[in-house]
Amino acid sequence: MTTIRLKGGRVYDPANGVDGEVRDIGIRDGRIVALHAQDKVDAEYDLTGCVVMAGGIDLHTHIGGGKVNLARMMLPEDHRLNRPRDSLLELASNGCCTPGTLETGYRYAQMGYTAAFEPAMLASNARQAHMEMGDTPILDHGAYVMLGNEELFLEMLARGEDPQRIRDYVGWAIGASKAMGVKVVNPGGISAFKFNQRKLDVDEDHVHWQVTPRQVVHSLARALSELGVPHPLHIHASNLGVAGNIESTLATIDALEGLPGHLTHIQFHSYGREGPKKFSSAARQLVERVNAAPNVSIDVGQIIFGQTVTASGDTMRQFANAELGNPRKYVGGDIECDAGCGVVPFRYREQSYVNALQWAIGLEIFLLMDDPWRVVLTTDHPNGGPFTSYPHLIKLLMDKRFRDEQLARLHPDVAAMADLREIRRELSLYEIAIMTRAAPARLLGLTDRGQLGIGAAADIAVYREEADREAMFATPEYVFKDGLLVARKGRIEAVPVGGTHFVEADYDPAIEKTVEAWADRHASISYRHMKIGTDELCSCSNGGALLACKVHGRGRPL
Amino acid sequence: MSAAGVQPRDWTCPFCSLLCDGLALAPGPVLQLRGGDCARARAGLAAFDHPAAAVSCVDGVPRGLDAALDAAAARLGVAHLPLFGGLATDVQGMRALYRLANVRGAILDHAHGEAMMPALRMLQDRGQMFTTLAEIRNRADLIVCIGTDARSSHPEFFRRCAPAAGREAGGRVVFLGAGGGTPGAAEIPWASTVDALCAEGDIFDTVATLAALVDSRRLAAVPAALAELADAMRAARYCVLVWEPARLAQHGALVGEALLRLLMNLNRKTRAGAFTLGGNDGAQTANAAMSWLSGLPLRSRVGQQGVDHDPLQYATARLLDERAVDLLLWVASFTPDLPPPPAALPRIVLGHPALAAGCAQPGTVFIPVATPGINADGHLLRADSVVSLPLHGVRDDGLATVAEVAQALVARLASGAAAKEGAR
Ligand code: SF4
Ligand SMILES: [Zn+2]
Ligand SMILES: [Zn+2]
Ligand SMILES: [Zn+2]
Repeated sequence: MTTIRLKGGRVYDPANGVDGEVRDIGIRDGRIVALHAQDKVDAEYDLTGCVVMAGGIDLHTHIGGGKVNLARMMLPEDHRLNRPRDSLLELASNGCCTPGTLETGYRYAQMGYTAAFEPAMLASNARQAHMEMGDTPILDHGAYVMLGNEELFLEMLARGEDPQRIRDYVGWAIGASKAMGVKVVNPGGISAFKFNQRKLDVDEDHVHWQVTPRQVVHSLARALSELGVPHPLHIHASNLGVAGNIESTLATIDALEGLPGHLTHIQFHSYGREGPKKFSSAARQLVERVNAAPNVSIDVGQIIFGQTVTASGDTMRQFANAELGNPRKYVGGDIECDAGCGVVPFRYREQSYVNALQWAIGLEIFLLMDDPWRVVLTTDHPNGGPFTSYPHLIKLLMDKRFRDEQLARLHPDVAAMADLREIRRELSLYEIAIMTRAAPARLLGLTDRGQLGIGAAADIAVYREEADREAMFATPEYVFKDGLLVARKGRIEAVPVGGTHFVEADYDPAIEKTVEAWADRHASISYRHMKIGTDELCSCSNGGALLACKVHGRGRPL
Repeated sequence: MSAAGVQPRDWTCPFCSLLCDGLALAPGPVLQLRGGDCARARAGLAAFDHPAAAVSCVDGVPRGLDAALDAAAARLGVAHLPLFGGLATDVQGMRALYRLANVRGAILDHAHGEAMMPALRMLQDRGQMFTTLAEIRNRADLIVCIGTDARSSHPEFFRRCAPAAGREAGGRVVFLGAGGGTPGAAEIPWASTVDALCAEGDIFDTVATLAALVDSRRLAAVPAALAELADAMRAARYCVLVWEPARLAQHGALVGEALLRLLMNLNRKTRAGAFTLGGNDGAQTANAAMSWLSGLPLRSRVGQQGVDHDPLQYATARLLDERAVDLLLWVASFTPDLPPPPAALPRIVLGHPALAAGCAQPGTVFIPVATPGINADGHLLRADSVVSLPLHGVRDDGLATVAEVAQALVARLASGAAAKEGAR
């Protein structure tokens, strides 16, 4: 039994309404407990001059699975540099925009993050995604299974299957892949591309199945709501990156008809068609709509200038952008009547009008949203930039002067015209704590994470207060994972295996007959192997804790 | 390791990278395949008939497992730069070997490293456009096998490509530059037609000409059959190009790049993808696991300095020839067909029990290991590097897994290091 006291830190714990109060935090056996002044402790840390937050939670970061691994193999140039190790606990691993799983775990932990979620797990690649996440040390993890492009689902939708059966199928798919939620990517569009369709608007028919993205989004959102899955449908909307796509983004919000939905990397979906270059910010239009739609949450997918790689299931859009590759390489794949993958290396340039505007749009969205609980800080790692740029991004949001300096370096038309110039808002530490831990925890249904209340898991990041927010958030003083000190001033102190979060939903098992019949006709593996059992998950995820979240229809997690 | 409770139709075959599943294996001293009749699978299984008690061996002398592990750890402990070769193992094996490689540093390469390099170089230089078995079953109306008959290395390939139930007609299959003896219509019963074109001739020239034709470039004196094929590829709704880098020797990377150019072109107007045959003996798995753990693929050196990838320098044959390494740790857990290369340096072999006889010389430590899918569970990645499947042991032969052996070596090296540090 280990008892630790964190003494005298300034605590930011928005889930419990704590906004910068100086108070002590007690830890016993990995949980936060109330300690009296006279209680004996094994260790006491003096946190005078420090800021205390729950461990960071990244709810959208491509850390595991086939396309990420293809990106690693494809970009040896991203791996030439080896960061000097200062801890013998670290095994060799490197990379910046496509780091190895080991490096991913070390670097997130060094930055004060204790959980990360892979947003685009293919059902047909789920084992590998869990293996890679299991080899990502320290962090707890989970994944959203990609639905809405697999032929079985589209076939069910096309034949007008009863929504109850769709719900059961979605429940089955979550259970079979051991997912934490569901992501839909270019609804119907990945499949449509396999039938040689090159564009799919929200109300346009899939050329083969004659169903629309609107139907796909609505039926998945409804299924999740009825199953009681905490995380709303995670939506990568139609027309990613296309000028004028704000229309399809707003239409996608309409398609929810009030059901919960999380629009991800929304920056890439908030473009107008105004101005001489026919490419403009639609941040205000978007935010106005999201502010008025309490069922909708977003994460931003901020772009960061420099080299990165875009890895997405959205083959339709990735193939269209293959020529923009820098360096000029392209990986694309059609996968198992299930989904697809497209990988395009990319360099965001300050002097590019489009890139500069994308940068400004992302920041505008962060700063215009009035409810921080519905906007999560992401770069869509690595698509907008590597996760290691989060401290830089936090500084941009907290420091107007720094932001203006950066803006002045950009393409002159953007520097002179962007709405961003007029936005004076500087986010507070309390708001940053919401966007990086409390809100993602709430959106994922993680009741005992992302907060520092009594009984919560002791995932804690301690930052030394500094005016330079980038330096402050880059290297926390202490990071605890389940009460274990895992990093200290950037040095890795312990390397526990992280746990796997996944949802267990109730559904009518009769649906298995439908899936089995489909598999017998169309699949390339036996139906039995389409399911990952709990024991198998344990071996895939490297023996980490299995953090099952049981839900019972429409209800809350038990 | 566990070996009980395999369902009748639940067996996954580990003997090539297609990982056929839904098969049955009747357990017992002689393992019998049911629900399939693949010669390669039967040969693989025959190597497990009537297992005798497998023993470890140090310098030709039979020893208990602990003594063999001690000897192996001692030799690893004094090596300056070992090569971890073979790497015919599963995900758990690679995870543990990676940890072991990190203890004192090592270079990692697979037994099929040379064959994998063309596809890897193509990926690193230009990328790839791939498709997978279920897409082929459900979509392909034209399959072009380039420079390979596919079935020699992957006997069940055409059965696995058979059109999904309910599709009106099977597609056309063409063998291009694949030599003689390619399968005919009788052997691919579902195909609408089966042709063999340009059986002889330089494969790179053939592919380059085809690529130019698909690109609608006018060429003088083109074989009519090739021109017709290019038209057919452009007219197909979903064309699949099958290639096998291992058969192309030094041409591999060039052919691969020509194929990718061709595919990018085709995909401007219609849809197409490649299927790469390769990755047998766990090569796909070892490369993928290495890449996710370290960030770089095989033919990399790991250690305190980090990871260094050099596909030319860190090749098994070259490292051994140039004596650039001073110990070989060889892993071959699937078949006796991957013996360690003869070498004048110390060798540690984690191998199929039938490799014992060839590993009885001085300087060699032999430790028999279990085989995923036979006498151990495990996971492997399929040729397309997308699907991974669980393998189920059907028998317990009392053998340690590669992962268990590697973990035991890590523990011994760690405690050895601790003892040394304590003495200081
Ligand atoms: S084709 Fe390969 S995987 Fe399939 S049964 Fe034969 S050897 Fe096994
Ligand atoms: Zn996305
Ligand atoms: Zn993403
Ligand atoms: Zn099974």
